[in-house]
Amino acid sequence: MRLRSYASIAAGILLPLTLACSGSSSSSTTAPSKPAKTLTYTDPAGTGWRLVKDASSTSTRIVLDLVGPSGTKTRGVGFNLQAEPKAKFGTFANGLPINDTGVYQLLSAAADPNEPIALVGGVKPGNVLSVGIYQKDRAQPAQDSGAPLCQIAVELDPSKGLESGDHLALSVVKAKVIPEDIGSASDDLYTLNQKMRMADITIATGSLSAK
Amino acid sequence: MPRLLSPLACVLALGSLPALAKPGTSHPTLAPAQRTRFQTLQATRVSQVRTQMLADRSRLGLGSRDGFAVQSAFTNTQGEAVVRLRQTYDGYRVWGAQSIAHVLPDGSIRAEEGGLQSGISLEGAPRLSGQDASKVALKALAPKGKLDQAPQVEQVVFPARFLGGLATKLDPSTGRPVLDRALTVYAKLAEPFVWAYEVRVHLQNDLDGARDLVYVVDAKTGNILRANDISQRLTGVTPATGTGNGYFRGTVSLNTSQMADGTYALYDTTRGTLPNPNLQYYTPDGSGWSATGMQVWWEEHDGSGNPTWNSYLFQSNPTNTWGDGQPWGQLWGQEGEINGQTSGVDAMSAMATTWDFYTKVFGRNGLDGLGTTPFAQVLSTTYTNPDAAWWSVGSFGVYLGAGTYPANPTGHLSMTDLDVVAHELTHGVTSPNWSQFWVNSPGYEEAGIDEGTSDFFAQMVKAYANRPSGADTTVPATGADWEIGAGVNRGTPIRWMDKPSKDGRSMDGWFDGIQYMDGHYSAGPMNRALYFLSQGASSTQGDDHYSPYLPMGMTGIGNDEAARIWFKAVTEYLIPDGSGGITFAQAREAAIASAQDLYGTGSTEDIAVQSAFSAVNVGLAPGQAPRVSVRFAPWRNGDYIETNHFSDYSNRQIFPKGQTVIPRITVENASDTAVTWSIGGPSMYRGSDYSVEEGGVINPDGSWTTPNEMAWHSISATSKADPTQFAEGRVFLIDMDTDMDLEPDAVDMAGIAYSWYLSNALNPAHSVLEAPWVDDGDVSFFVDAMRSTWPAN
Repeated sequence: MRLRSYASIAAGILLPLTLACSGSSSSSTTAPSKPAKTLTYTDPAGTGWRLVKDASSTSTRIVLDLVGPSGTKTRGVGFNLQAEPKAKFGTFANGLPINDTGVYQLLSAAADPNEPIALVGGVKPGNVLSVGIYQKDRAQPAQDSGAPLCQIAVELDPSKGLESGDHLALSVVKAKVIPEDIGSASDDLYTLNQKMRMADITIATGSLSAK
Repeated sequence: MPRLLSPLACVLALGSLPALAKPGTSHPTLAPAQRTRFQTLQATRVSQVRTQMLADRSRLGLGSRDGFAVQSAFTNTQGEAVVRLRQTYDGYRVWGAQSIAHVLPDGSIRAEEGGLQSGISLEGAPRLSGQDASKVALKALAPKGKLDQAPQVEQVVFPARFLGGLATKLDPSTGRPVLDRALTVYAKLAEPFVWAYEVRVHLQNDLDGARDLVYVVDAKTGNILRANDISQRLTGVTPATGTGNGYFRGTVSLNTSQMADGTYALYDTTRGTLPNPNLQYYTPDGSGWSATGMQVWWEEHDGSGNPTWNSYLFQSNPTNTWGDGQPWGQLWGQEGEINGQTSGVDAMSAMATTWDFYTKVFGRNGLDGLGTTPFAQVLSTTYTNPDAAWWSVGSFGVYLGAGTYPANPTGHLSMTDLDVVAHELTHGVTSPNWSQFWVNSPGYEEAGIDEGTSDFFAQMVKAYANRPSGADTTVPATGADWEIGAGVNRGTPIRWMDKPSKDGRSMDGWFDGIQYMDGHYSAGPMNRALYFLSQGASSTQGDDHYSPYLPMGMTGIGNDEAARIWFKAVTEYLIPDGSGGITFAQAREAAIASAQDLYGTGSTEDIAVQSAFSAVNVGLAPGQAPRVSVRFAPWRNGDYIETNHFSDYSNRQIFPKGQTVIPRITVENASDTAVTWSIGGPSMYRGSDYSVEEGGVINPDGSWTTPNEMAWHSISATSKADPTQFAEGRVFLIDMDTDMDLEPDAVDMAGIAYSWYLSNALNPAHSVLEAPWVDDGDVSFFVDAMRSTWPAN
């Protein structure tokens, strides 16, 4: 799974380079580089798991909502999103690179604002954003995944040398959800163990470009 | 935690009393007659303090339901009434909240208020009873043997800031650290204050040994909010005068008693006016014995040295001559006979000298200021390691080991030498009861200050024992050798106070992380500061008494003034509240305040105190430039772990095992903030802390590849700009890979979510602590490790 994902990233990176080389061979001069000033994002097609642009995005910060297929109920989701080094993952007011949209029940019934919540994120080597959001304990009911479940952000960072026209490949290299059926504590241990396994999903990404 | 403010937080004026004392005015020691005059005013002054504090509630941020209960009061040798007030709410004690007020001779009042808690708002009554709370504590403790005393239970208001945290212990079967579920606290609190019960348990039996524990139980949920093991270890008659032949003390005169049957006992009714809180449960046998009056007991063993778990008073002596002056010959089964009596003589004589030292030099009524009777139990192999000694808060007594020499060639003699006994009895001064004790466990700087205080006053008692005839109210300038345990260790000191590092283990100066050391070794800076204060420091590099932190050296102020300053500091300013939060920085502030009280601001003594602490890397002497500072803490910036686990987590970091990480460090006062990382630290002396590991690899770029082992690990950072400055931290390595795909990432958090609050060991891999259950603790650690290891851009 991971090997296949990396291969697809490599293809995504190689393609623009090839185009650039063929373009330069037809001209005796190279056009001066132009620092990028804005980011644009085009949503992917389809109704499955996907990252779509949120209305709160600005010209230099693209906020992406994770949306799932309507009618599919889940209890949490985690994924790893790899981006080119020139892309910078942004953070939210919580200090994390992931933001809760309120669909999943992160607090217990007591709703103690100080209790630990399973909202976690970081940027691993290779510019891999790793984020997850999971419901509080097992007692909470599964939620419909057709609404924005969480948010991530990509920002324009002038220090990274991004140029106008650059295409920033995004690729989800791992993604899993906690499905609705996780078994019951009253199930026999074998059945329960079988049900306590995450389900793989594929998250589609759109096209991210700099201008 | 008492937050000692400097300068003193507040000066209160009493309208009907004379003007306020000018800050910095010294208050000389008064003659006994003058002091008596002020003692007669004590009750009135206590009442005035309480009235004034109540009137001042608004300024303090307190409401009408807040109040103050007088915990203790005494009049010091300067004629000041020292009043310790505990904050109450609807009449119930607010845990860890207190104020200490001084009423000066002119009637003005100064009060430290940093420890008070504002903003309390509680409605309703506790859902649980005190009996329920007691059951919760006992269930957590799970004693194997029978309790000889019922737990003491008190309803309190508990501030969330004192919530306890993770505790680990060594699994004897594997030698690996495991969670200590009896002392670990996972609870959380939604409100800043809750009703709770404090449950105090004293264990003493052959299955559990002897332990003193304090639990705080949420009165609504039954959750344990905090747990502390506060055991402190080093380890109708006629008055008569007997002759003792001690090994350490030689031939001495002893206060003894002639019992009802005409024989004599090592029982001194002239010292101690209140009964011993442990002995009072013993049934009088008609001999005339009671629990009131200092006394020495011996521990019984069979002929092979196995304890019978019985102990007896040294008694039934028809001659009133005790001991043979020879070291304990391990004559098991004959502990009460003449050779065993020698240990009793040494202990009794040492106890009497220590009692008189506190009574006559400082005007204190015995150890606790109330005249409570202490006792000693000698030749112990049960309640203490035989080569150690132990002061028990719950027993108000000292257990002195029998020693293992000569059976063990490197062992100690009977632990009854003067410095050992005086050290332990000083714990009775600083930790006299369940409401006032120093937390003496690794993890708290307070432990080192506690042990250092006992070492220092043991030296002062040693000097006092050699005083000229009639000079009972001062500490002689000579007579201290600044060595601890040389007698019991057959000539080689166990600790050196002038240069603690001579033992190869103790520290000469403070560093961030010193709290992880055993208190007897983290005592090093305290011992050395007090040595410097009394005897001075050298300016000659390489001299044993030279300090790189104070290269210009200093002149000492002598034993008597040093003793008075530190006694005032620990009995009037550094009064513990059971939270373990007293720091070396606070010790310095307390000593300065005491020196200024006694001798004036800017006095030679004031400056000497600042210099002595500077010489051990605590604060600066006047005119010194700031030093480079290296610290692990703080960096969590108010997250769940920091706010809910208080000092336990103040400089600990959480990382995944088997990953390359960059620990966090803060370097200040240096243009070059680079550090050199190293595995381990001073607390890991020869692997002495078995609950902590040293492992992994420091890479050339300064990163650390952590070992693949879930455990506490020790790691240190040393400033490249100033190699005398370093910090040791604790790092807990967790197993983040709950889905076992060999890739720790945020997806692994799902494993926790699956098992959240399941406790039937469905999948132990889901616990980042490799425990058979998963709860909020796993979430906290996972989030923390993720943020530490792979921070967002």
